[in-house]
Order: sequence, then C-alpha cells, then structure tokens
Amino acid sequence: MVDVFRHDVVIVGGGGAGLRAAIAISEAQPGLSIALVSKVYPMRSHTVSAEGGAAAVAREDDSLEMHAYDTVKGSDFLGDQDVIQYFVEQAPKELTRLEHWGCPWSRNEDGTVSTRAFGGMTTKRTWFATDKVGFHMLHTLFQTSMKFGDIDRYDEHFVTKLLVDDGDCRGVAALDMRTGEMKAVLGRAVILATGGGGKVWPFTTNGNIKTGDGMALAYREGVALKDMEFVQYHPTGLPGTGILITEATRGEGGYLLNSEGERFLTTRDYGVGTKAELGPRDMISRAITQEIAAGRGVKVPGKIGQYSHLDLRHLGEEKIDSRLPFVRELSRTYANVDPVHEPIPIRPVLHYMMGGVDTDIDGATELGGLYAAGETACVSLNGANRLGSNSLTECLVFGARAGEHAVQYIQGAAAGDEARFVAQVEAEASRVEELRGRRRGGEKVSKVRESLNDAMEAGTGVYREQASMAKAVAAVAAVKASYEEVSLDDTSKVFNTELIAVLELANMLDVAETVATAAVNRKESRGAHACSDFPTRNDSEYLHHSLVHHTPEGPRFDKKDVTLGVWEPEERKY
Amino acid sequence: MSTSTPRVDSMKPATPGPTRTAPPRPPDKFPSAGRYPAYLAFGACGAFLMISALVLIGAVWAVGNGEAAWNDYRELLSHPVFLVYHVAAFIGLTWFTLRLFRLFPATQPYRIGPLKRPADAVMVAGLYGLFFTVLAVGTLFLGGALL
Amino acid sequence: MSQETKTFVVTRFDPDKDEVPKTQSYEIPVEGDWKILDALNYIKDEVDPTLSHRWSCRMAVCGSCGMNVNGEPKLTCKDPVSNYGDTVEVAPLSNFPVVRDLVVELEGFMEKFKAVKPWIVVAKERAVEEGTTRQSPDELADFKQFSMCINCMLCYAACPVVSNEPDFIGPAALALGHRYNQDTRDEGAPERNEIFRDEGGVFSCSFANECSEVCPKKVNPAGAIQQAKLRNVLDWAASFVVKRGGKES
Repeated sequence: MVDVFRHDVVIVGGGGAGLRAAIAISEAQPGLSIALVSKVYPMRSHTVSAEGGAAAVAREDDSLEMHAYDTVKGSDFLGDQDVIQYFVEQAPKELTRLEHWGCPWSRNEDGTVSTRAFGGMTTKRTWFATDKVGFHMLHTLFQTSMKFGDIDRYDEHFVTKLLVDDGDCRGVAALDMRTGEMKAVLGRAVILATGGGGKVWPFTTNGNIKTGDGMALAYREGVALKDMEFVQYHPTGLPGTGILITEATRGEGGYLLNSEGERFLTTRDYGVGTKAELGPRDMISRAITQEIAAGRGVKVPGKIGQYSHLDLRHLGEEKIDSRLPFVRELSRTYANVDPVHEPIPIRPVLHYMMGGVDTDIDGATELGGLYAAGETACVSLNGANRLGSNSLTECLVFGARAGEHAVQYIQGAAAGDEARFVAQVEAEASRVEELRGRRRGGEKVSKVRESLNDAMEAGTGVYREQASMAKAVAAVAAVKASYEEVSLDDTSKVFNTELIAVLELANMLDVAETVATAAVNRKESRGAHACSDFPTRNDSEYLHHSLVHHTPEGPRFDKKDVTLGVWEPEERKY
Repeated sequence: MSTSTPRVDSMKPATPGPTRTAPPRPPDKFPSAGRYPAYLAFGACGAFLMISALVLIGAVWAVGNGEAAWNDYRELLSHPVFLVYHVAAFIGLTWFTLRLFRLFPATQPYRIGPLKRPADAVMVAGLYGLFFTVLAVGTLFLGGALL
Repeated sequence: MSQETKTFVVTRFDPDKDEVPKTQSYEIPVEGDWKILDALNYIKDEVDPTLSHRWSCRMAVCGSCGMNVNGEPKLTCKDPVSNYGDTVEVAPLSNFPVVRDLVVELEGFMEKFKAVKPWIVVAKERAVEEGTTRQSPDELADFKQFSMCINCMLCYAACPVVSNEPDFIGPAALALGHRYNQDTRDEGAPERNEIFRDEGGVFSCSFANECSEVCPKKVNPAGAIQQAKLRNVLDWAASFVVKRGGKES
C-alpha cells in the first residue's frame, strides 16, 4: 500500500514559477491546501542560476506597446500576441510585488529601481539585482512562501507519473528520494513548473536537474508539446563548462571580438544593425558561429572548439564590481580569466527551450486539471526566440495566472475515484522497484546519456541541416532502444541517485525525441531554428506552432495557429 | 575523518527523518587543527580577564580595610606565582586584544551611524595604534616617567 | 594536458547496510582545471554509480554540493582539485546527521531557517498600485551582503557552537534574520529580536568567526550576528530609558 496525501492543488517544481503559483493560490483562496513537490529543495531550483535580469516597463521613455513589439519581433512573429499583451501588462505589477516581498533590486540614487539594457529590447527595461537576479528572485519567493501556512512542501520527491483518470489530472505519483517509497499526492489540479530540459545537450548553461521532467510527464499523458524545435543558444558560455556569462555584460557595454580583435557585430552584417552586441540571442549566436567557421575563432588551451572574446576591460574595475560581480567571480573561478584585465573566451551554449507543454493563456493544458508555467510550458510568449530577461518575468506572470486559474478550476472539479489513482501509484511503485538496481546487458546510465547528448549536439545545434536532423531523429530512437537495456548498480532504497538519473534519462529521451522530430519538420529558418537547407522564413507555409503528441507508434504532428494581433509579420531586421 | 562523538545533535530535525542517519561528527579539525586552537585560546583568555578582575576587586577591598590589609595585598601580588601570572596575563590579553581588533572590521556594518565604514585596514591600524599608544603611555606612567 | 591521478577517499554510508560510515578509495585520472565536484561526478559516471551526492548548478550558486574536503567545509563545485595533494578526503558536512554517503539531513536547518521569519514582515502589505518602495543604494547596501547566502551549510559544518548547543539557530539563519531586520521595507525586527535574544539566539555565538572563514559567498554571518548582538543590547538598554520616560510623563 502506498501512502496517500490529499491536497487541493499539487504543484510540481519549486522554482520561480512553482513558488509564484503556490503564493498565488494561497492568496486567491486562503485555506486551500497546496502540495509543492520538488526533486530538490526549492532554493536549489535552477531559477537560481539566472543572472542578468527580469523585464518589465519601468521608465518614462518606455511603453507597454514597445515591450510587446520587441517581444513579438524577438519571437520572429511566432509569439501569440494576446499572450504577449497580457504579459507586458502584468510584468511591472509582478516585479513590484517581488519588490514588496523584499527582492533586493539594484537602485538608482533617488531610490527607484534601476533598469539595464538587454538584447532585443529598445530601451532599458530589465530590472536587476546586480548579476544574480534569479538567485535573489528565487530566495525571495521561497522565503516569502514560508509565511503561507497552507503550502506543504514535498522536498526531494521525484514525480514519476501524472495521475489521470477519465481525461482529468488529479495528482502525481512521487518517489520520496529519502525512503525510496512511492507516494500518491492527490489534488484536483496539478501545475507543472519543472523548468526546461537543457541537460539533453552536452554543452549547456543548465544545471544537472534540468531534465525536462514536466514536459515528459505531460507528453506521456497525451498532452501536446509545442514548438519544441526552438531551443535557444545563449551567445556567451564559458569554455568547457558552459557556465553562463550573462547578457548583462553586453547590456552594460561589453564587446564581442573575434581573433583579430575586431568587433564583428559592427563591421559585418549579421542582421543586428546598430544594436550590435544588444541584438537578439539567436542572431548573435549565429554571428559567433559564423565568425568561428570563417576562421576567426579564438583557441583556448586545453579546450575543445573555438571561441570569441567577450571584452569588458573598457568598463573598468569599479563598474564590473558594482554591476557584474558574479561574472567576475565566475570568470576567475571557471575560466581563470579576470575580465578586468583580459577578455573572456565564450561560445554559444544551449540555454533555454522556447517550446514546452502546450498551454492556453491561463496555463491550462488540453488535459483537465493540468496546468503548466515557466520554461516547462509553452504559453507562446517567446515564439521562435526568447528575448533575454523575459523568462524570469514569465515565471512570475504565468506562474501566478496558472495558480489563480487552478483555484477557479477546482471549484467545480470532482476529486475523482481515489482507488483508481492509488492503483496507478502502486503500478508505478512496482515499475520503479523493478528498475532499481536492475541488471541488464546494457550500459551505465552515464553512457546512454552521453550518446543522447552527442546525437542532440550533432543534430540540433545553432545551425541545423535536414540531413543532420534526420540523423538525430534516428540516433535518439536508437538511444531509446538502448535505454531499455540500461544496467544499474545501486540497489539501495535510500537516496538512490542512480535510480533518479535513470528516470530523468527517460524524460530527457522523450524531450529529445520531440525536439529532433519537430526540428526536421520545420523546413524554414525562423528565430532560433536556423535550417541551412531552408535559410529564409516561410510565412505562407510555416507561420504556425508545431505540436507533437505522443502515441504508441511514435510522435504525431499537428499544427496550431499563431494568434496575431496588432503586428503583422514583417522582415525581422534590427 | 574525525571519529569522536559529538555532544549534541543540533541539526537533527524536531521529528526524526524517515530513514536511519549516521550521527553527526564535530567539525573535522576541532579542536586541535585549523583555526580552532586559536579560537579556543581566545576564549580561554577570558580566564585572565576574570582573574584580573578578581585581583582588582581584592585591591578595592584591601584599600577599604586599612593599611595592614593593603600591605598584605601588596605582598601577595609580589609572590612569584603572581609575577608569573602577570607576565602570562599580559601576553595573553595583548594577543586577545590584537585578535579582537583584527576581527573587529567584520563586525562593522556598511554604515556606522551616518558615515560609510572605513576600509578594514584603516580600522585595524587605528585600533592597533590606539592600543599601543595606551600601552606605551601606561608603561611610562607606571614607570614614573610621566609624574 | 598532463594526465595525473589522485586518490579520493570518500565517505560511504548506506543505512540499509552499514552500521556506521566507512571510507572507500578511488584512484582516478584528473584534469588540471577540475573542481572536487568534477572528480565526484567522474567517480559516479565512470567508476561507481552507487556513490550518492547532491549537486546541480556547478557554478557556485545553488548551494547543493557542500562537503568536507580534507576536513574543511567546501563548496565542491568551486574548490579546485589542484589545491590538493595526491590524496583527497571527501566527507559529508560535519555537524549534520548523514542520510547516505555525502548526503546530509537538511530538515533541521529548514526548521531553524523558518524560525527567524525570513520574509518581509509588515503590518499592512502594500498594494501593487502604490508602486515600488524607495530605497537608497546605501539602504540597500545595509543588508545586501547578508542576502547573498546560498544555504550551502558550510557555516553550520564549521561552527563549534553548533556542535555544542542544540538550540543554536546558527550562522546562516541568524544572518538572514538580520538581513530582514536591516531592510528599510521590513517592520519585523521586534519579533525577530525576541527570537534573537532567546535561548539559541545571537548570544549563543562565541564569535569563533569560522562561519565567515568558510563562507564561499563572503556573506559574513559572524559579522551579522555581532551586529545583531549590539543592536539587541542597545535596544534592551533603550527599553529602560523609554520605560522610565514613560512613567515620568
């Protein structure tokens, strides 16, 4: 028998979106019981690693319309304009609430909140707390969440399955990592807020926990994943580790240089115009990739591949220390470079997934009672390319909206047949029990994961080709087959991280499958999806979202219309 | 890894976790390695403070109880054990004070009253300067040079 | 890059099998720019998948991977392998009960953390429509350093008071409470100071300064606690003045 825990709403994931949803529910209807289930303690969530800032209109010279247009254009017209409109309206309110909750936003001399420039944004609208914005936002949210007594945390619980009966999601099966026992955590609504799946790729800014869990959980229950082909390469990752160097370095005035010391974004045409280093991420990542391909890359001793230089020296020590102290700490610790005296070697690094669980503007999915928010979700704010500093705000805006809407949903929602959910959890318990420490002929988890990483790097990089993407589809399928033979060593029930890794790997494989197959099906270049065989955007055939559904026979494709509005698609030039 | 058992289990939750845990170890270098000996010696210097305070109280008591008591008191102070004690206390308390001064900047907030905190080195240098000045003046005074 | 090997002596403990923790040695090749965490991940991936340790961001901000390395609490993703000789001992954080291998029990800390009310306490929450609060850069700087804690637990592992006084709230949590007390937006200092003055509060600290020595983020919890002590002493002294004044008027 598994233990059953009954709540009103179950949130999976304790990062920015999950915590914001929890607080929103607590405020919308005090007394509702909320389960916050996370595979790590919430302060470990990957929101913590975001550096540069969160976007919201704050200045006199800015407007909601400008923020909306920048976002639409940044998305290469694949963002839904009703969603974007709602987002820009809510953004200042959400960041203000965070200010009231104690977030240590950096300040102007007059005591107002300071903003900085960011890529693809017309004016300074990125709120920041030096260069550890995600860290401060996450800790502020987590600490604030503690004053709400109705939030029951299930820390270090790994969700293996959504509990679905008769088309409605009513809870999760969660593996208590401490005991190795499965629990039924029930609620009349479930909100997925588990972040993205950057660990599908080998060279990524993402932490170890970013394994696409929420996307895979929803996918396996028949919910569509949307726009999965769009993955963002951040222009500036450190050699070897892929550790993120924030776009705020360029927002504060940093330059990108090639091996000849040339500011190539100003001297060559990469489509960013006078924006130069403050162009959108997709274009700058392509520019760096092209510079390297043209033989103007920088070599770093002992590191694979070639790089460009990010030069901050002209900013001076005082500005670097006051505005970008974490960048200095990271560069010194992980690249052995002091940006005050030397340029930082960087190259494009996988950072973010624009795609995710298909939701409407309320965060609702096609499955009754199932919501998603944050990077896990694809509410279609970011379209084909996300603008830097929109995603932290997205976690807040759509985390809150999903929470509030879930509260409305449960008013009329029946709890369902508990016995049937418990039976599902018991089946999960046996499945996981069988998996733990099982000996098969195959390889270790780490080896299978490496094969997956290699396939995805080869097929879904900054530039993609039909042939390489098709190869990636086949390679992922092959890795999926080898997964069935994976061999495990750890038989312990207590804190079995090998077991968690193999469950995560299954999620990564599902995510990879949807990314590779969605990519091969989009025969155009749009935003972050740069297809060498089809180098231009093709609005007549591809101005639509791509949906991938899971079926026993393999992924199934559908299209979904883009919601246009004020702005008709036009050539995306800066 | 240290194998000594700790006296308490501070980080244990109010209700024990669901699986058996291994008991906590005290800090691996405690008490004999790393920075811990200095910390313990620093704390132990409190004994000098206490004894010296008692000695001072004794002086006050002696003064209030007539000349004989005062003479007895002075004789006690000139006992060799007390001389040794005074040398030890002098060295110990000097080190105690200097260490305290070295740690002092860490205790100071970003703003002290209306002023921004001075650089750490300035604070330490100031305190050291003050201490040695007082020590020098005191020595001269007790040595009779200033009378 | 020259290929050298090092021996990692790692503490192992499986509560299902081991009465007490034991050590296991792994001799592995290391790269010159590795951190201790890279070595542990190499062991996990290539040698022994049964080794359990927590980690995630590998960029010194999520706070998961604190361990004792050669007896000193370290954030292993930030601690270079090159700082050590041929043999490196990696053990779970001291002062914590051990769940398994290098994984320690965090629930005790979570209780202490919550005890200091680490959120903005106000009589009436401001409405969004009122806009943001004004706070000068100096007012921000009054608490900013103490808001940088990543909850990595190194300070608890190093603190000699933690291993002797069961009720001690401890460095990170006290520093966080002080952080909110110092924030111009907060009105909760009276409540927090009662906790600070209580058993296990700031006056249990004997200023070993170990917490600040081992802190990988330069939060300086020891400084925060001494400042909180001073503030509480002054508040206490002021309370007499205020009370007496009250009687006379």
